[in-house]
Amino acid sequence: MNHDGHAKNSRTAYTHLLWWFLFAQGGVIAAILVPIHVLVQGILGPLGIVRVVDRHYDTWIRIVGNPIVKLYLLVLIAVPFFHFAHRLRYLLVDLGVPAARSVPAQVIFYGGAVVITAVTIWVLLTTVPISFG
Amino acid sequence: MKALGGAEAADSTHPPPRVYKPEMPRGWWLRQRHYFLYIIREFTALPMALWLLWLLYEIQRASNGPKGYYPPSSPAFIVFSIIVLAFALYHTYTFLSLAGVIIHIKGVPSRLIVLSQFAAWLVASAVIAAVLIGFAR
Repeated sequence: MNHDGHAKNSRTAYTHLLWWFLFAQGGVIAAILVPIHVLVQGILGPLGIVRVVDRHYDTWIRIVGNPIVKLYLLVLIAVPFFHFAHRLRYLLVDLGVPAARSVPAQVIFYGGAVVITAVTIWVLLTTVPISFG
Repeated sequence: MKALGGAEAADSTHPPPRVYKPEMPRGWWLRQRHYFLYIIREFTALPMALWLLWLLYEIQRASNGPKGYYPPSSPAFIVFSIIVLAFALYHTYTFLSLAGVIIHIKGVPSRLIVLSQFAAWLVASAVIAAVLIGFAR
């Protein structure tokens, strides 16, 4: 982006690296983890084909209270949004909304992913107290 | 840089250079199967995002206490999940297939890398399913 000097050009673009890392990791997490959650919690559980932890209050809070599960849920829910934000912003560009390239659009989309991360952390910390039981 | 400066100086005597604006007709992505699949691939983000937001809501609902908690069972939710699953699987298929293009390891054929990605997906799915089902009653 910066063409006014060699010193600026040769600096490693750490923020760029961070966003690309989050984009790539979000894609991997969504690819590897999401389908089984949708299948088990969204289809098999509600249909009564298998027993699932979220079908009963006591089993659900026991698993959601586990600190490792909380950390897992944070990664599962929050990180893919950095992938989704990028994809959906460029989907809008491709579908004829050039405004999606603008800085305000970037703030809305990537900022949205940051907000969802914050909300997820808040929900995980306030819903069920951390317990090792 | 000097050549550029020269061009700019020359421009003052000529009309400003025309800017190339690629024109994409409405519905361009419906004209070819590959364009369509590309748009579907990018679109998979939206249904997955909605489902993950639902999961977050499901976690939050646990704070309502045992009487306020009821598991999702409506046919609408199941249909929604089936649609999301189709998009999620398409994301999995396209994204894990890409690994063969992105990751290069000397002496390892890209097909093997892709296979390992799909194997990792199956293992992770089995572990998650075991936890979701195993800790239920």
